Amino acid sequence: MRFEFLELPGEAGTLFRPVVPVQFEDLEEAPQLCLVDTGSTANRFGAWLAEATGVDLAGAPETAVNIGGVTTTARHARADLTIAGLRYDAPISFCDPWPFGFNLLGQEGFLRFFRVTLCAAEGWLDLEAEQATRDSSRGR
Amino acid sequence: MPSFTISGHRFELDQSGVERCLQDRLPDPVHEHYVVVRGRRFPPKQVIACATGLDRADFTTHQARRILKRLGFVAARAARERQASEAETGDGSRSGRQAAALRPYIGKWVALAGPTEVLVAAETPQEVLGWLAQHERRAAYGMFRVPASLAEAEGAAPA
Repeated sequence: MRFEFLELPGEAGTLFRPVVPVQFEDLEEAPQLCLVDTGSTANRFGAWLAEATGVDLAGAPETAVNIGGVTTTARHARADLTIAGLRYDAPISFCDPWPFGFNLLGQEGFLRFFRVTLCAAEGWLDLEAEQATRDSSRGR
Repeated sequence: MPSFTISGHRFELDQSGVERCLQDRLPDPVHEHYVVVRGRRFPPKQVIACATGLDRADFTTHQARRILKRLGFVAARAARERQASEAETGDGSRSGRQAAALRPYIGKWVALAGPTEVLVAAETPQEVLGWLAQHERRAAYGMFRVPASLAEAEGAAPA
């Protein structure tokens, strides 16, 4: 499935960002536009999203992580993500504080589940689900 | 201050008073007509209902538009605008239109029904979720915060 880069207003012209709409748990009315971040080892989401959808982070293991110049507390849990029509159970680090506008899709919770082809020259990315993702999605 | 008779009641309204009463309100969904108040698009009936305390059933969209135009607000039709922008880019390329559509919302959380169709903009993601639930709308394109700077767009945190 192909997704066009998001065009953002910038000080010196338009900025293009590779993003994917992600349904978090059952939040169908508000897919989160997430930034594909090949440098991130894990999915990093704002903790507000867990709170807004009732994902229980009590007792979740915590670590301090540095992202984009900010030290934040990441609580590690699992949640259902639906991307390109496939719903799967993903590991996610819920971070607080999270001063960013986008959640990040990284290796463990995203790139292991999808093959990604990026074309910055034309401003799009293609996702192809791994066979294991398709198999596990069928049962959900 | 200009005065108007609406539904048998007399009101004195001015632009700054209308702007003040809407400053903490999020715009309801715009179906066709809207007026621009401090850079945000509101349905005309929402604006007049807020400014006068009248029920929206007490007056028409046409009346509301006429009053707001007299007060100096820009009024337009959303459907007409969409058709024009679609005609502009028949090749499917957004070619800067999305960035232009998002520019008024820099620093805000937005929910988009389509690449250039902003349903709601607010200070927090919780407000956006609340608005979508209240109005039973779906942000089919997604929600996010429009970065306020190049650094934010590139992944650095706001200072």
